[in-house]
Parts: sequence; C-alpha cells; structure tokens
Amino acid sequence: MDYRNALAATTAAAALTIGSTAFADTMTIGITQNNVGVDSYQTTYEQAFIEAAEANDNVEAVVLDAGGDVARQIAQMEDLIQQEVDAIIIWPTNGEAVIPAVRKAHQAGIPVIVTNSNIAEQGFDFVASFSGPDNITQGKRSAEIMCDKFKDMGIEDEAKVVHITGQPGYTTAIERAKGFDDRLPEICPNVEQIDKQPGDWNREKSQKVMEAFLVKYDDIDGVYAGDDNMGVGALNAAKAAGREGIIFVGATNFAVGYEAMERGEYWGSIYQSPVDDAKAALQTAVDVLEGEDVPFLNYFDTPKITQENMDEFDKPVF
Amino acid sequence: MQPGTLSTFLKRGAIWGFIVLELIFFTVAGEFLSVSDKAFMDVDNMLLLFKQSAPIGIIAMGMTIVMINGNIDLSVGATYALCAIVLLDSMTWPMFAGLGDWVIPVSWLLALATGVALGALNGLIVWKTGVDAFIVTLGSMLGYRGLVFMYNGEQPTSHLNWTLVDFAEAQFLGLHTPTWFLLGVTVAIWFLMNRTVHGRNAYAIGNNREAAVNAGIRVGPHMMINFMIIGCLAALSAVVFYSESGSVNPNDGELYELWVITAVVLGGTKLTGGAGSIISTFGGVVAIQLLRKGLAHIGADTSTVNLVIGLILIAVLFLDRQLNVKGKEELKV
Repeated sequence: MDYRNALAATTAAAALTIGSTAFADTMTIGITQNNVGVDSYQTTYEQAFIEAAEANDNVEAVVLDAGGDVARQIAQMEDLIQQEVDAIIIWPTNGEAVIPAVRKAHQAGIPVIVTNSNIAEQGFDFVASFSGPDNITQGKRSAEIMCDKFKDMGIEDEAKVVHITGQPGYTTAIERAKGFDDRLPEICPNVEQIDKQPGDWNREKSQKVMEAFLVKYDDIDGVYAGDDNMGVGALNAAKAAGREGIIFVGATNFAVGYEAMERGEYWGSIYQSPVDDAKAALQTAVDVLEGEDVPFLNYFDTPKITQENMDEFDKPVF
Repeated sequence: MQPGTLSTFLKRGAIWGFIVLELIFFTVAGEFLSVSDKAFMDVDNMLLLFKQSAPIGIIAMGMTIVMINGNIDLSVGATYALCAIVLLDSMTWPMFAGLGDWVIPVSWLLALATGVALGALNGLIVWKTGVDAFIVTLGSMLGYRGLVFMYNGEQPTSHLNWTLVDFAEAQFLGLHTPTWFLLGVTVAIWFLMNRTVHGRNAYAIGNNREAAVNAGIRVGPHMMINFMIIGCLAALSAVVFYSESGSVNPNDGELYELWVITAVVLGGTKLTGGAGSIISTFGGVVAIQLLRKGLAHIGADTSTVNLVIGLILIAVLFLDRQLNVKGKEELKV
C-alpha cells in the first residue's frame, strides 16, 4: 500500500466514523405541551424549550401544542409515534386521559418523559422519567424560610402559624402541605400551627379564609400559603384588617408576590422558573436517550427567595 | 352543457380538489421542512388521519342534517362533555358493580340515551317556542356546560378500563375502531338523507319552510327528530373517544361546535339550509384534520393552523357565493 492510498483509506475511515457518530447522536425529540399562551409561564416555557433545543446541535425538536384539548394531544402523541421520534416529552392536558396514548408510545419503544405535572400513578409503568418541581421540598423550604425568620425575630418559641392550602385533591397542593407540615416541627418545634384551610389556588377565596382567621385568632405571627397568589390574598386581608407584623411565606413566586416583597409586605417564597423547567425536561430526555441513569422523579431545583436575596432573581413573568 | 353545470361540478368537487392539493403540498413541503424521515403520505399516517377525524366527523354528520334543515346546533360540544361524564362515571356506579365488564355496553347506552335526551330538549324548545335554533342552542350550550361543571367542579372525571381501551385501540382490517364508527355513521346518515322520506323532507324544509308546511310535512316533530339524531351522534362521538382515553376535563369539547360547523360549511352545506351533502361533509372533516396534521408535520404551530383554517373557510364561502351568482346569471340568458 503506497502512501497516497493509505491516506485516502484513513481519511475515508475517519469520515465514516465522524459521519456515523454524528448520525447516532442526532436525536429527534417531540414535545406536546398543554396550552401555550394560556399563561405566561407556559409561553416562557415554550420559548425556553425551543432555545435550549437549538443550542444543542444533536437535538432536533418537534414542538407541538395541544391547546388544552385532550383529543388534540392524543392525536399529537399518535403522530409523534408514527413519525418515529426518538423520545416524547408530554405536558399532560389531563393526567389520566393521556395514559393510553403514553402506553402506545411505550409499546412502540419510544421513551416518554412527563414534564411539569405528573400523570396519574396507573401510567407510571409506561413513563421513562418525570421532570418537574419537587413539591414536597418546596413545602419544606417554605417551612425553613418561615422558621429562620422567626429565629431572627426571636419569636421561635411562641409564634403561631396559619396555613392556607391549594385546591383539595390536587397533588401539588397535597405535597406542598405535607412538606410544610412535616418540616416545621423538625426545625421550630415550639411554633404552633393553629389552623389550616383550603384556598383553592384562588386569591379571593384565600382572602376570605384569612379574614375568618383574623377574626378567630388575635395572635397570628405567620401565614403559609400554597402559592403566592393565595399568599397575596391573605396579605390583602391582613392589610384591610390593619394587622401588622405578620410574616407571609408562599410558594411558586408570582409577579404579585415579587412586587409585595419589593414593598416589604411579603417575606419569602419559592422561585420556580419556567426556563429551568423547560431546560430540565429537554436534558432529561437527552439523558434518557444517551442511556444515562435517570431517576424516575427527576426534579429541577426551585430555590428559596426572600426579601434578602430577591435581587438575585428576575421578576417572574406570570 | 346545461347552464350552471360547471359551477355545480366545481362546488361538488372543490373539497376533494382541496384535499388533493393539501396532500401534494404537505408531501412536497414535508420533504424539506419535516424533521421526520417518514413520508407524509405514509399508509399508517393516512389511517391515523381517519381515526383522528372521528370525534369531529361523527358530530359533523348530524350537523349536516340539522343545517340542511335550516337550523344549527351550538350545544354539541357541551353535550359531548356531559355524555362523556355519564359514560365514565356510570362505570363506577355501585348498582352496576356486579356486571363486571358487561358494564361497558350499559354505560354506552346510558351515554347515548343522555345525548338523545339533551337533543330532544333542544328540539322540543325549537318546535314549541319557535325561537331560532341559534338562540336556543346557544342557551343550551351554556346550560349543558354548566351541568358539566356542577357535576365534578373543576376536577376531571376519570375511569380507566383497560378492556375498553384495548377495544378502542384495536384495528380491524387495518382500520381503527373510531374509523369504523365514523364510516358507519357516514353510510347510515347518507342512506337517511338520500333514500328515505325523512331525508327528502329535511331538504324540503330547509329550502322553504312554508312550502313544506303547506305540503303537509310536520315540520316541528321532524326538526325535533333531527336534534335527537345530532344529540345521539355527539354522544356517540364521546363514547368512541372516551372509551380510549378514560378521563374527561370539564372543558373538553369546548369549541367543537365551531370545528364541526367549519367542516360542514367547507363541505359545501349552506348556512341557510336546503342544500348540502353528507359525502362532502366527510371531505370537509378530512380536509380540516389533514390541515392540522400537515401543518404540524412541517413544524407550524397551533396558532398558524387556526389562522390558515380561518382564511380557507372565508375563501370557500366567497367562492361559493361567486359560483352561485354565476349560476343565476347564466340561467337568465
């Protein structure tokens, strides 16, 4: 073999290797979202997802939106299966109605990643991984924010807390409440939770609940609400009643909560970014396809935000 | 050539020409724009197309009769959701606990009966009060949706029965279960409209209600029957779809009335009544689903899909008007 031939052969082999690895590494990932445009969390999520997919040279993304319509989401699942994408990410429009469609993808050998809110337990067998916020940890962190503040104020042995939960039956509501209820006695054993009522994720409902609490209890030092929307409702009730010095802690920092923190009326919350949510979903899909060991519940981090560190965070868009 | 033959041919054939156009466009565009290696005209994809057309398509068949009648039914989406709730919830009722999987046909019948009853209520009000069907069914659209929310609040109603799911996902002779239902309904309604007295009367009433009354047609009961048919078909659509998905959100079926009417109008049925064809409605349904599928295939987003369908609907109505004007002018000569 002369030199030229050897060179040609090596080049060809090299080209072949590069070509084949590039081919193997290109992943087609389909996503069917719940309802882009219904709120700015979901809109920001989609933009972030597309940006993240474009930034990754090995990923080709098929981005679909079900428009809140279960029938359309199931049709999109079927289309993605038929197009033989490598993985499907789904933001369920209905945690149960999509289970048969998820099973179909599973049977076709396509890994399914559920994003943001999980499907019902009956479908767990057909899902590769869930990527989303860890609601129990969010509840725990809210308890820690509350306890730390009480310690600063030196009332950790006498403080009384009321608790406003989300809509009964919602997993998010149940898990956040559980995290808070479990963690608070561990770190502040002498703080007493005197009452707990549902606010149904609704600001007006939460305001009414808080009004009732204020009438019933003369001494309230802290309020924990399952999200900032309800937290601000409770804050409005306290302001209207002229009660000051109450520490408000929420979860899922909303723009209204962020603004109330800027005004110094609202102490802290949990920061959940749609950008992180979208990036985590894509990364989970990529990891699953690359054969990495991905935990079934693959949470992204949702840090604590208080008046003290809020300048590290952008104001939420929703 | 008879005057107007060309325009009649254009009107009849327009929807099929449009479908062919869509197929060509998405096949060619798909080669460049789609990230999928699969062709758009893939057999499996076309089979899915029919399957996915079923929920809208089954209701559209009923809407064609009602619109040929000169009426309209805006409550189909809410009827669809309410029947879905009856279907899924009745499977868990304690009184049927001993039936095992035989609860499935019982629940189906209950859901269909609910649809017929809701349709009958619409028809009865239109018949006895003489209020325009648009207003009556606008009211019942809101009322029936209210019942849906009263039933289970904001929560979904769910019951997942794998026997049922397996049945709904089955493929017989290559066609999915929903496709068979869609084809069956299309054939049945086609027969009703073209081979029975009831069908002839439907056209007659839509053309000229007064003349129909003078000809001795009992217009009120006739319309009520048609509302019962569309109620039953809305229920059947729910039965077919929710057998496969097993959970209904309280807002499911919202805007279905508009998609159904769009499909029917695309198929050439007149909003004023008296003219329309079941087969063309089938074409209209397929055209819409093809558009949704095709635009998703080439990577367009949902808002684009809605925009394009809206533009096409306006174009179709404009074309229809122009063709009719021409037909009349030629008659004068």
